[in-house]
Amino acid sequence: MSSPYLKIENLHVAVDGKEIVRGLNLEVRGGEIHAIMGPNGTGKSTLAAALMGHPHYEVTGGTVTLDGQNLLEMSVDERARAGLFLAMQYPAEVPGVSNANFIRTALNARRGEGNEVPVMKFHRTLHEKMRELSIDPSFAERYLNEGFSGGEKKRNEILQMVMLEPRIAILDEIDSGLDIDALKIVSQAVNSLRSPNIGFLVITHYQRLLEHIVPDYVHVMMQGRIVRSGDNELARQLEARGYDWLKQELGIVDETVGANA
Amino acid sequence: MSQAPLVAELSQRHGEPGWLREMREAAWQQYEAMPSPKLEKTDLTKRTWGFGPFPATVPAEATGDAGAILQSAAEAGMPVAYVRDGVVVRVDATEAVRNLGVVFADLHTAARDYEGVVRKHLGTVVSAAESKWAALNTALWHGGVLVHVPKGVAVKVPFLFVYLETGEGNGAFPRTLVVAEENSSLTLVQVHLVDGGAQPGQVHAGVVEVAAAAAAQVKVAAVSNLAKGPTRFVVNRADVGTDAAVEWVFADVGDGFTVGLVESRLTGTGSRSVLRAMGLGSGRQHLDLTASAVHAGRHTESEIDMRGVLRGRASSCYRGSTHILNGAVAAGSEQRERIMLLDAHARADAIPMLLIDENDVQRCSHAASVGKVDPAQIYYLMSRGIPEAEAVRMIVWGELAPVVEAVPAEGVRRWLAGRIDKELVP
Repeated sequence: MSSPYLKIENLHVAVDGKEIVRGLNLEVRGGEIHAIMGPNGTGKSTLAAALMGHPHYEVTGGTVTLDGQNLLEMSVDERARAGLFLAMQYPAEVPGVSNANFIRTALNARRGEGNEVPVMKFHRTLHEKMRELSIDPSFAERYLNEGFSGGEKKRNEILQMVMLEPRIAILDEIDSGLDIDALKIVSQAVNSLRSPNIGFLVITHYQRLLEHIVPDYVHVMMQGRIVRSGDNELARQLEARGYDWLKQELGIVDETVGANA
Repeated sequence: MSQAPLVAELSQRHGEPGWLREMREAAWQQYEAMPSPKLEKTDLTKRTWGFGPFPATVPAEATGDAGAILQSAAEAGMPVAYVRDGVVVRVDATEAVRNLGVVFADLHTAARDYEGVVRKHLGTVVSAAESKWAALNTALWHGGVLVHVPKGVAVKVPFLFVYLETGEGNGAFPRTLVVAEENSSLTLVQVHLVDGGAQPGQVHAGVVEVAAAAAAQVKVAAVSNLAKGPTRFVVNRADVGTDAAVEWVFADVGDGFTVGLVESRLTGTGSRSVLRAMGLGSGRQHLDLTASAVHAGRHTESEIDMRGVLRGRASSCYRGSTHILNGAVAAGSEQRERIMLLDAHARADAIPMLLIDENDVQRCSHAASVGKVDPAQIYYLMSRGIPEAEAVRMIVWGELAPVVEAVPAEGVRRWLAGRIDKELVP
């Protein structure tokens, strides 16, 4: 199978008629880890949701392709089956649907009819991955995210990612609400997946995460577009100096979307 | 009085004792005297009360769904009763259960052979005077069972009562009497199967009455596919004695026109009730379902959990009623009603009712909601590759599963699950 390739060109995204992402360009290939950093309100999570196809987010311009296919024409489930994965900041709770049943259904949807994963093998793999993520075995039969703590939800997102083995994985503030131990565990899981068969887009406020998941590229988002790209050194600089120097360099007064200067 | 001969004919056919015949006749008078009821959420003015004549014989072989459920129950060693269109086809109490001194018999036979028990309890929990349909059932019941578990006896294996309605019965009037003596325990699963041919204009009035004596533990699951055609009335009630516990499960998948009441009267000190109900309605279903807990004793506890899913043009009402009577000190109760509307034309009411006549209440909570399937849930499942229709099916199943899982007989659970699956196929 060819190496994954996500290509975003001049993307514009609006929410409730207001343009949040304004001309964003980015390419993510298999084997690469891209970090998107930036203060609150600059459009990072909007980018993630729009790529996944959340119905509230309207793409008003630009193109996105995954492995050469037009992602924007696909429904949410088609995007997932094409290999896109979004670890969400606020995953929904679904009472009555067990975690294991959900993941197995998702995996089989991805694999297609006639190619379903054998039940025993699935459970063996699931429990193995759960152990690696220090998730209690009881979570397999618990209802999807119901009553999970913030950190448990995040780990459960990562569990789904390692089970589904996507081609492009977007992690939307996966570090928020995680203590340092959980952060290490989650980072280990991401690093263990790292290979030419998967590309990552890691969205975060903080450089802290990027000490554990070391990115190849760091991009800073302000006013709905990428205003600066660099390597991990850029992240360190931002951690040490904050965002103000960059804003000054770029002549930006208010970095949030909708501000004009 | 044109239908009165039906009472005489039933009594004669079953060789009933005089008191029972008199009870039927009195109930018939009450039925005739009562005006057609006016209900808040159900319009009965266009419904007719048609019934009879009642068949004396039916095919003996159970086929189809009834056959499969009975077969599975027999394999599990469950005592089974099978009634078709009001005619008792067979009752197998099983030797193991008989050896415990337990009676599991059709109610006609029981009225003769276990006259003391039946006479003492029949009509004490559901009385003919309370509603036109309770009166009608009391007058015309045929095809019913008695479960009597003596003091201190625990029956582990569930009893199964299958009532098959094919439309040949000209009205369905099943009656179930459960008598759990002190410190006994039992589980009853009652299935009302409608297999085609349900007749418009006819009446189905079913009654389950449960007398749970001190410290008895009773679980009753009533599972059905109440189909369109007849006007259907259901009254399932338990009287719960001191430190006794009754657990109800009510599950219906259908498109019928039904007024139903499932109720625990918590009369004894420390008595408890758990009531789980689910309905999956389609077509032009009208289900006016009330789940009720009446707290009369001291330190009583109740829980009501109703889940409705509506498709098509179904228009239903789920009402939770918690009544804490004066003197029922330190009662604890919670109730919730949750309804999902799957189609644009489906309509529903979720009505929580709390009637509290006592100042000393331990806790009393309620929650009610009606809405579409949460789009955030659908999006989440789809984001993992699950197609939309399958995502909705999973979410609805998730909603109903806790009630399905509470049905204590595997064959019945499987049948119910199959009905739900069939309804949820896009």
